[in-house]
Amino acid sequence: MDTFVTETVSILTNAAILFIVSAGLTLVFGALRLINMAHGSLFMIGALLAASLASALGGAWGFCVAVLVAAVAVAALGTGVEVVVLRRLHQREPLAQLLATFAFVLVFADLAQRVWGSSDRSVTAPVAGRLHLAGATVPEYNLVVIGIAGLVALGLWLLLARTATGWRVRAAVEDPESLAAGGTNLPLLRTSVFALGAGLAGLAGAAIAPLESIGPGLDTQIIVAAFIVTVAGGLGSVLGAALGALVIATVESLGTLWVPAYASSAPYLVMILVLAVRPWGLFGVPER
Amino acid sequence: MTALDETHSTPAPTLGRAVRRSTLIRAVSVLVVLAALAAAPYVVSVTVILTLEEIAAFAVFAVAANLLIGQAGLISFGQGVFFGLGAYTVTLGWEHAHWSFWLGFALAPVLGAVAAVPIGLVALRARTLYFALITLAFSELFYQLVEQNTDFTGGANGVFAPVVPAWMENPVNGYLTLLGIAVAALAVLRWIYASNFGLLLRASRENRARIQALGTSVYRLHLLAFVVSGAFCALAGAMLVIYNQGSNAELFDWTTSGQAVIASVIGGMYTFIGPVAGTFVYQFGHDNLVRYVPDWQLVLGAVLLLVVLVRPDGLVGALRLSGRRGGATRGVELDSATEGSGATGE
Repeated sequence: MDTFVTETVSILTNAAILFIVSAGLTLVFGALRLINMAHGSLFMIGALLAASLASALGGAWGFCVAVLVAAVAVAALGTGVEVVVLRRLHQREPLAQLLATFAFVLVFADLAQRVWGSSDRSVTAPVAGRLHLAGATVPEYNLVVIGIAGLVALGLWLLLARTATGWRVRAAVEDPESLAAGGTNLPLLRTSVFALGAGLAGLAGAAIAPLESIGPGLDTQIIVAAFIVTVAGGLGSVLGAALGALVIATVESLGTLWVPAYASSAPYLVMILVLAVRPWGLFGVPER
Repeated sequence: MTALDETHSTPAPTLGRAVRRSTLIRAVSVLVVLAALAAAPYVVSVTVILTLEEIAAFAVFAVAANLLIGQAGLISFGQGVFFGLGAYTVTLGWEHAHWSFWLGFALAPVLGAVAAVPIGLVALRARTLYFALITLAFSELFYQLVEQNTDFTGGANGVFAPVVPAWMENPVNGYLTLLGIAVAALAVLRWIYASNFGLLLRASRENRARIQALGTSVYRLHLLAFVVSGAFCALAGAMLVIYNQGSNAELFDWTTSGQAVIASVIGGMYTFIGPVAGTFVYQFGHDNLVRYVPDWQLVLGAVLLLVVLVRPDGLVGALRLSGRRGGATRGVELDSATEGSGATGE
């Protein structure tokens, strides 16, 4: 029972991080029809920023401030990327957009190394306690991360399903022409969604900072995982990202328990199997 | 080697002479470049020879990958799978089955083609970005499998053993062998680019629905392209063993696949020679810039961004337009079609 609880909490923690990252990636795809390969780089920058700030400020409140500042700063960085480069490429073929974001992967990797160096850093969690839960001890911070993911999910649902802006974001996926004809400022909408997506990447990066060692290589590591989650779940679907995150985190964790030699390949296999059956992912829509 | 694009565009009769003259100029310049490349190892330093060895293998890799990327419009981030398979066919065949180097070398493209069938059957069901990401997943799947199965593959350390015949360990011999193989492979690939099959691939990139409506199964067409590309990528991987004196798991990684994409795009993915030019720029940049500029990726990213924003047809496209104002027929159809597709949308 206790290993079950520990295992479940660890799976949910991984799923929480994966969900926050993938939700950003999938939202951006929905509104801009592009896959942001630099999404993982934004995640890494969020983690590094939060790590620096948290150690500079110190304390639990310092950490909270660091997380918020990191998320907002990464959202601002994303806005810059969208306005300066991606907006110019909106009419171009998918490869051009994909490569432009790939270029930012390379640029950000070197810039981050310039600023933060190549050694790994670690952050102490704001809540270091352990909770006794059904006979198992669980780190409190993991529950905080799961809570953040829950809030993000709730917030996105409220935004997309309950507000006029959310309605426009969904309409931009279905029928951008009519939306523009109706007077919606599409470029502004796209930039806002991109900023939101980038902010989520920064938030996830900041949230993971106390859980893992933060350093170079974090960008490619997380982006590949986020690709698996969003593509298996269906590009553009937040629900798909949530389900995908749960499935992939479970597969990874159970794989490590049962077949350690193949644990790292299992998520790819799951994605390939899903796409072999549904080439547009679980909750995606077939492309025209 | 005749000019690639003359075979497709139909030049107006008055331009016939100009085209014939440009063909002659091109044939002569190809011969000059080949002679220079053959003479190079007796002139340049060993470091440069080794870079040239690398270029020979990566040029074949990029041109083979570009058959999908630039020609068919299939953005594959997974050609590293076949590149790695080719290299490991040689090294693992030598280690486990005691194959000679050349036996493994000959079997590599066959294995690449065979592996491309099931992977292509699954991956090609997915379109555009989904295709890009499922091929990336295959790349990572193979990377992880090779890295984890340490007993069979040597894991992260790879296989480094005296696989290559002793006479080729001399850089000059190794380079000249690689140059010969690369020229032969590129000649075949050029013929494929220029064939009706190559034309159909470009047509399917421009207007998939129309090709389908004309009675060609685009899925099968793309599967064939995937198999051909897989075979040549595997050949390129086997070639790299001569340079590397072994094989390592990173060959499968999606960043290796990405290298072929970058080389194709920087050089010019709508042409045959573009990926070759891109490989030269990439490898020389990589090998030399690294020594002077620590932030080599920053430079590469900036160049890539510049190409995407300013010159989507790459270096070759930029050179071609400036050198061919007026009366140019070659590639006009492709260039204008590409620009046209960029202008459509909302």
